[in-house]
Amino acid sequence: MTRSVIAAALEAVLFVAERPVPRNELAKIVGAGPRAVDEALGELERAYAVTGLRLAHDGNDWQIVTAPEAAPFVAAYLGADRLRLSPAALETLAVIAYRQPTTRAEVEAIRGVNCDQTIYTLTSRRLIEERGRREAAGRPIEYGTTWEFLECFGLSSLDALPSALSPEGTLADAHSATGTTREPVPAE
Amino acid sequence: MMPIGPRPPAVSIDGFAGPLDLLLELVEEKRLDIFTVRLGELADGYLARVRGMDLLPADEVAAFLYVASRLVLLKARSLLPSLEPVAALDDGESEAELRQRLIEYAAVKGRATALGDRLRSGERGFHREGGTVILPPRGGSPDALAAAWARVLALTRRAPEEELEVPGERYSVEERTAEIEALVASRGSLTFATLLGDRPTLGFAIVTFIALLDLYRRAVIDITQDELFGDIRIERKAARTEGS
Repeated sequence: MTRSVIAAALEAVLFVAERPVPRNELAKIVGAGPRAVDEALGELERAYAVTGLRLAHDGNDWQIVTAPEAAPFVAAYLGADRLRLSPAALETLAVIAYRQPTTRAEVEAIRGVNCDQTIYTLTSRRLIEERGRREAAGRPIEYGTTWEFLECFGLSSLDALPSALSPEGTLADAHSATGTTREPVPAE
Repeated sequence: MMPIGPRPPAVSIDGFAGPLDLLLELVEEKRLDIFTVRLGELADGYLARVRGMDLLPADEVAAFLYVASRLVLLKARSLLPSLEPVAALDDGESEAELRQRLIEYAAVKGRATALGDRLRSGERGFHREGGTVILPPRGGSPDALAAAWARVLALTRRAPEEELEVPGERYSVEERTAEIEALVASRGSLTFATLLGDRPTLGFAIVTFIALLDLYRRAVIDITQDELFGDIRIERKAARTEGS
């Protein structure tokens, strides 16, 4: 199969999929290697850039979503309410989004306040979810963001998180110890 | 609620973001550089703000007071450089550590603001909700559909004659009750399967069942069933005169 044929097949599968589809599964379905699938997904992603749809992914899970620019129209059609979050909830979400997987204690250390309530709010709105437990004292729960989060913020992936103007370079060092953080490279 | 921009000086519980937020606000208000400001100089302003807060829950006040105590200590040090380090006070954060936390918090706040802006812009994505695609049954084809239709037609051709044999059965619960009572009296015990026979009609089964319930209610019989969906054993009640 050529790349375009694979891309068309992937598009068809993702169109009917009711939930994000892992890349492995896509590869198995279309009978192509992971590399070929990656290339085809890339092609699809570029092709979608000029349409009302976007190809989004959270890690290796892929899904077709509507373009952020089309949101007002889709929201009008669906009668969807706009999500509102308090500044405190946004701060907690920001810590979790940029440092995931992370624990409540880490979020509280950064924000300097108790975060039970905001974590509860974010969990109940399905913007964050438990990602298992950290192998450390007390085995604390680790949190990460969800598909809902990507959709609500119109992000096609975690790589698309907005980089803040703050001096991030100085911070990366302070927290490289956690190892698994997904700190995006700040766009200068 | 706007998390950024000019804010009223009082820190309310709504939109309240914590002791670092307050410290950062002081730095920004005084247009100081977060990297070089002597944090001890902010102690007075900080304390003034904390005094202005009166409705905060205790644990949140504690968080503010902790930062306030660090600031006061830093200020004391700067005023009296000769001050000997006091062990009990010095297990807390150094100025560098507090500054690092503040810088990191500033980054988080910037990110939170960026996320908030994004949220307010309403430019979000939607995925297709499930259930809109109905899959055809496996192995389905137009030929299979035609064959199925042919079978339906064949059934309708054959059905009229069969349907003419409407069983004219009429059972009365009273009659059936008397029958069963006689049977139980003569045999002592029997099973529900025996009562139903080989191919009972629905009506016959229902009437038999109601008759049994009635006999049980009148304490003529005992009913036992060893397991779920097992056969039901019907026995003559030993001392039926006592019950009545």
